[in-house]
Amino acid sequence: MRAALAATGRVVRAETFRLLRKRRMYVLAALWWVVLPVLVLLLARVLQVTLTGSFVEGEAVSVKTLLQGLASPFGVARVGLVAPAYLSPSPYVIAVALLAAAGLGEPRTHRMWKSTLVAEPDRRAVLAGTFLTMQAFLGVLLAGAFVFGAAFGAIGTTFLPTAAEGAWGRLAGLYLLQWAHLATLLAFASLAIFVLRNVTLGVVTTFFLPPLVEGLYAVWRATAGFEPLNRFNALFQGLELQATLEAVPRWFLSNNLYLPARTSAAPLLDEVVGTLQAVGEEAGGGPGGAQIASLLGADLTLPHAGLVMAVYGAIFVTLLVVAFLRREVA
Amino acid sequence: MRGMTVLAAHALVKRYGRALAVDHVDLHAERGEIVGFLGPNGAGKTTTLRMLAGLVRPDDGRAEILGARVPGTTLRRVGTMIEEPSFYPYLSGRANLHYAATLHGGIPAGRIDEILAFVRMTHAADKRVRAYSQGMRQRLGLARALLHRPDVLLLDEPTNGLDPVGIAEIRENLRTVARGGVTILVSSHILAEIEKLVDRVVAIQDGAVRFDGPLDDLLHRVQRRTVTLRLSATDPSALRAALADDAVRGDAQRAAGADGPGADAADGDEAVRVRVAHEGVPDLLRRLLGAGVDVTEARTEGEDLEGAYLRLLEGDGPPADAGAGPDAKTESDAGRAA
Repeated sequence: MRAALAATGRVVRAETFRLLRKRRMYVLAALWWVVLPVLVLLLARVLQVTLTGSFVEGEAVSVKTLLQGLASPFGVARVGLVAPAYLSPSPYVIAVALLAAAGLGEPRTHRMWKSTLVAEPDRRAVLAGTFLTMQAFLGVLLAGAFVFGAAFGAIGTTFLPTAAEGAWGRLAGLYLLQWAHLATLLAFASLAIFVLRNVTLGVVTTFFLPPLVEGLYAVWRATAGFEPLNRFNALFQGLELQATLEAVPRWFLSNNLYLPARTSAAPLLDEVVGTLQAVGEEAGGGPGGAQIASLLGADLTLPHAGLVMAVYGAIFVTLLVVAFLRREVA
Repeated sequence: MRGMTVLAAHALVKRYGRALAVDHVDLHAERGEIVGFLGPNGAGKTTTLRMLAGLVRPDDGRAEILGARVPGTTLRRVGTMIEEPSFYPYLSGRANLHYAATLHGGIPAGRIDEILAFVRMTHAADKRVRAYSQGMRQRLGLARALLHRPDVLLLDEPTNGLDPVGIAEIRENLRTVARGGVTILVSSHILAEIEKLVDRVVAIQDGAVRFDGPLDDLLHRVQRRTVTLRLSATDPSALRAALADDAVRGDAQRAAGADGPGADAADGDEAVRVRVAHEGVPDLLRRLLGAGVDVTEARTEGEDLEGAYLRLLEGDGPPADAGAGPDAKTESDAGRAA
């Protein structure tokens, strides 16, 4: 056990040495830590200039509240967590795919396994060390987003009506939870890249396979679902599986993956669900609020998402370990 | 310290689909020994080396390093350079060695400079590997294999892409390393490339060992090869008549299975080609001169050391060499047992 830990430690040091020399790490960090907060501050300044004294300020929105929520030290740090969860493609997926490509794809591309696995024949240690290093780099990226967001927000207080107040402890906890959730995505990306033996194909799979599967489900629900009573649907209804199938989105990878980040924006999501429900009722039908919430993943809780990620993570890691231990280095 | 077996393959078998890549290969190497692993491309050398390095699982048989089964922790005491050496191209040569040193652990800081100097790569150590020539990669590959002072070196065609000076330097490096007690198994498909380096040769063809023994034995067998001799004389008909005479042809040519000159006439009947055992050439020429034939030209054609060695592997040698297959292995095994 001690030898395995020592071997894992050596792999972590070697992979850290290598990944620190990858330019893409610095590009990712610069985009997340500097460009995003600067854009938020620019947007806030534009909003301040445009909205202050306008009819909007008096009628609907307090500009000061808006800027405090968006561009205060707490607000910018929160944007660093939330924005990547709502962008498409998500910077979370981009970062994870690039890290997995560097960690497990490059040794194959550059035919390095034949020397690495002789220098360290304990394949479990090699895989664990590489995975831990990639996960640690993700942690550094997220921690940097938190710290730099707060720092840029602090700079913003010099020219915006903002202050440092906010639920910092909860935000830090959500960052930590999001980082833990990303381990599952990292396992999936590593598995795809390693099993497909092709970095490009693996990255494409990481980007598109989960949304594709989930999208197909959404299309099926929207176009057919259980509404037409045919033999197929009668079978499912007879087996009392209808409710189970309708609850499938609760188990989708994407919905649960970003939940910690999206929790910060929960009030906004609730509003969207309420609006859609109202529109549906006005039109004399349409899906109910629960169904919309289900499709948007708004009915999920953090413990549920944690459980789902743990299940997915266990499956992906098991498959990855089996593939890595069995693979011959040709 | 010789006599201690540090590397062994016992009846290794590897199949890829229906193709039998390695067919019950046995080999061993003792401490400080340099063993040449010879065979043409596709003979199974690299697959065998991969099995010895724990990169590929044998379908049958087993590999052992320092008495322990492969794969296992003893692989940490092995240095390898299998096929073309590969590196992270965006790292410098020194950084690649640093990466390898970190993986091995416990390598003193000065060792990287020491090994770079040993393979004469100090001048290019800080360049990115993507700018290296193939020869520089070979040298850096050797440096990486030697970095942790291994007990066993598995080298797959280590002089590929090197110029003659580079080949001589690598050869000298390997000799120095072996003198320090390191066992080296070095593969090549070119006999001449390693004949000045190795103590013993294991020759493989179609996945099976065809020869295992001292290099001198192999060279002796190869040099007893048959050659095609192209002869011209002032009077071609006299030359043909003389060659038809058993007394002139002699034992050596008969042993080579030559059918006489009529079947092998060439160049518009001006020159004659005959198959003759290599060591019988001087005798044949003496007899022709003694028979009054004015030989104006005599030269061997189309068969160099490599060609003869390949024919030997294929079991197509002269009758005297017929035992160069399994028999040779048996002789060697007997010698080993003794």
